[in-house]
Amino acid sequence: MNNIFGNELTGGETKLVDCYRSLAAVLAEHSDELAPYQERNALKALGALWQVANGLDMEPGQVYHLGA
Amino acid sequence: MAESPYWNPRHETMPRDELDALQLRKLKRLVEWTETQVPHQSKKLHDAGVTADAINALDDLRRIPFLTREEWMQGQVDNPPYGPILAAPQEIAIRYHMTSGTTGRMPIRVLDSMKDWEWIAEMWCYGFWGFGIRPQDTVFFAFSYGTFVGFWGAHYACEKIGCLVLPGGNMTTEGRVKQIMEMGATVVCSTPTYALRMAQEAQALGIDLATGPVERLILSGEPAGSIPATKQLIEEQWGAKAGDTAGMTELGTIMIFECAHQPGGTHIIEDHFIEEVIDPLTSEPVDYGERGERVVTSFGRGFIPVLRYRTRDLVVKVPGNTCDCGRTFDIYDGGIRGRVDDMKLIRGTNVYPRAVEAIVRERREIDEFQIRLYTAEGIRDEIEVLIEVPDKAVDTESLTGELGRVLAQAHEGLRFNVRISDDDSLPRFELKAKRLVDDREVIGGKGERRSS
Repeated sequence: MNNIFGNELTGGETKLVDCYRSLAAVLAEHSDELAPYQERNALKALGALWQVANGLDMEPGQVYHLGA
Repeated sequence: MAESPYWNPRHETMPRDELDALQLRKLKRLVEWTETQVPHQSKKLHDAGVTADAINALDDLRRIPFLTREEWMQGQVDNPPYGPILAAPQEIAIRYHMTSGTTGRMPIRVLDSMKDWEWIAEMWCYGFWGFGIRPQDTVFFAFSYGTFVGFWGAHYACEKIGCLVLPGGNMTTEGRVKQIMEMGATVVCSTPTYALRMAQEAQALGIDLATGPVERLILSGEPAGSIPATKQLIEEQWGAKAGDTAGMTELGTIMIFECAHQPGGTHIIEDHFIEEVIDPLTSEPVDYGERGERVVTSFGRGFIPVLRYRTRDLVVKVPGNTCDCGRTFDIYDGGIRGRVDDMKLIRGTNVYPRAVEAIVRERREIDEFQIRLYTAEGIRDEIEVLIEVPDKAVDTESLTGELGRVLAQAHEGLRFNVRISDDDSLPRFELKAKRLVDDREVIGGKGERRSS
């Protein structure tokens, strides 16, 4: 996986970005079926992983529409 | 990598051309986001002919209109309580904060979402990690946890780093000093003024801080964290290294921090902010090494996009390689050097409270001080410096005379009256110190009189 400047991410970095994207997808598609403890913890984790994706120059966009 | 001296190694050591490219990309995204989410700002951009598509070089930033505090406050008056600045629904906010309001003006009110709050802590992590703070540290916050954002973000940054956090809110100074010692705090966070106040209290309690557990102090909230004499005094009294930081409620966090190499200034977190320095009168950019006003653009807090905010802070930017820490982030030499509106004109001479403090703090006999401006004989501006000197063995006549001479020499011969004040008669501060009292009845060259 490469970032917006074409730099290749390491294996660990790629997995972290995958986690971020997976979490965002879960919250976008399954939010209404998640229990409060699942949704709120996922949102909190999304806010933290956004920092990783942003720090890796992956342009994570905004996540307010997901509640974070 | 856990031993990296940098929080984000790649960004903090990025070559300038890559950093410019990163800032440009983020600027385009920020303008795009603002255009679509904040109608008030979108209109401003449109009126100035600025669109995201038209941002093709960092110089294009200068086409974006400034945002002033006055405009922000007026927005709050017209559209209470936040003004027309929010880019996301209020319902998802998790934090409300406001400016400290020490100037008596209307406070700026802000909101943050979960992601923004994480980002706020993230910025503090750059500073704490960069100053050498690690998971094994125990960090004491001498901070009254309230709606003023202050050290809130720093608290969460320390949790994120993995430190043991001691939240020292709602405590007496004595209680704080004792807890720092009893709990073996290795890091203390406070304003510079309050670091000195705690040192005074420790002395009164017979506690020698210099041989205690504290290894580092993180200072914020006042320019004094980068005044060499004040910083040296704090470091001596605590037997610890002191690192300066500065932030603002309008951004929610810090934008500059001093690294462990202590270059005599503060690195700008340039992967998250663009910091311009301009002439406050002409609004034209000034070169490296020249004093000017900070103008900040922030990429982090999407909830409240901040484009070209006039901070009124005075700074001197120098290149990042002025420091040998390896960061490419530029530096504000001497940190925040004061405020554009801090300057007082006394009989034709510019006086900055920070410059007076830098001289007063050279005299270790002085425990506390206050600068007072008053009107003599109904028309003439006078300036006096009140000082407390607790050590009765000190020759105060010599001290006041010498201090008055040094202050005059540094201010084009302006006469400073230096007077001894009774012990503990001058105010002490926990948050932002306000050591200048302007009692003048007549202000300015036009002879206007104060109404009160």
